[in-house]
Amino acid sequence: MSTVQTRFFDELEYQNEALFCFPAGLPGFEDHRSFVFIKKPGLEPLMFLQSLDDRRLCFILLPVGAVDRNYRLELTEDELRELGLAAERKPVVGEDILCAALICNGDTDGPSANLMAPLVVNLHNNVGMQVIHPESSYSHRHPLLPREAYAPC
Amino acid sequence: MLIMWRRAGESFIAGDAEIQVLDYRGDRVKLGITAPESCVIVRRETRITQQQNISAALSADSSTIETLLRRFPGNVVSGPEN
Repeated sequence: MSTVQTRFFDELEYQNEALFCFPAGLPGFEDHRSFVFIKKPGLEPLMFLQSLDDRRLCFILLPVGAVDRNYRLELTEDELRELGLAAERKPVVGEDILCAALICNGDTDGPSANLMAPLVVNLHNNVGMQVIHPESSYSHRHPLLPREAYAPC
Repeated sequence: MLIMWRRAGESFIAGDAEIQVLDYRGDRVKLGITAPESCVIVRRETRITQQQNISAALSADSSTIETLLRRFPGNVVSGPEN
């Protein structure tokens, strides 16, 4: 059992199964390779991706299925290889991989999810990456609240 | 927007960068870029993702969490079936 300083939950203990390596980092945060996945009772389905190196860096995530229950994830052969997944078999979400969208809370548009570039982690080897699929037709700013909620007064 | 037609093997200059059309297959074009090291070259979707990730990190706060929890009360979905 190890501990991590977190942005939202002070010091937390975590199991090694919760520690994930992103060999390429995340775009914009290429130097951050080690993250702890945090789930908290009462806060689900939200998840948190806390940097092990910088307590200030913590992303809020939602499982893509919570944002769009019909979400289709297509991984390329290169992505499967980088994640250490077999190319012959489609990985099963929840068993082989976790797929989650990063949440951004814009000043004017309210919270949105980046469905164009979800995080995918291999649950067998704890390797993760952000896959970027501009051809997927999913938005990088998929709105999470009705637009009228943010109409100017 | 400046628009031009180029054949495979032809190139054009943008600032200090030279961009050559090497090949095309179906709806994909293979480009070769020659540019000084100081010239940052990045796919558009990667740049968008960088900016979106930085905004996500900066906007992650407890009021965002509260807003999201109102929109997504617990125990929603296990995930897509694919």
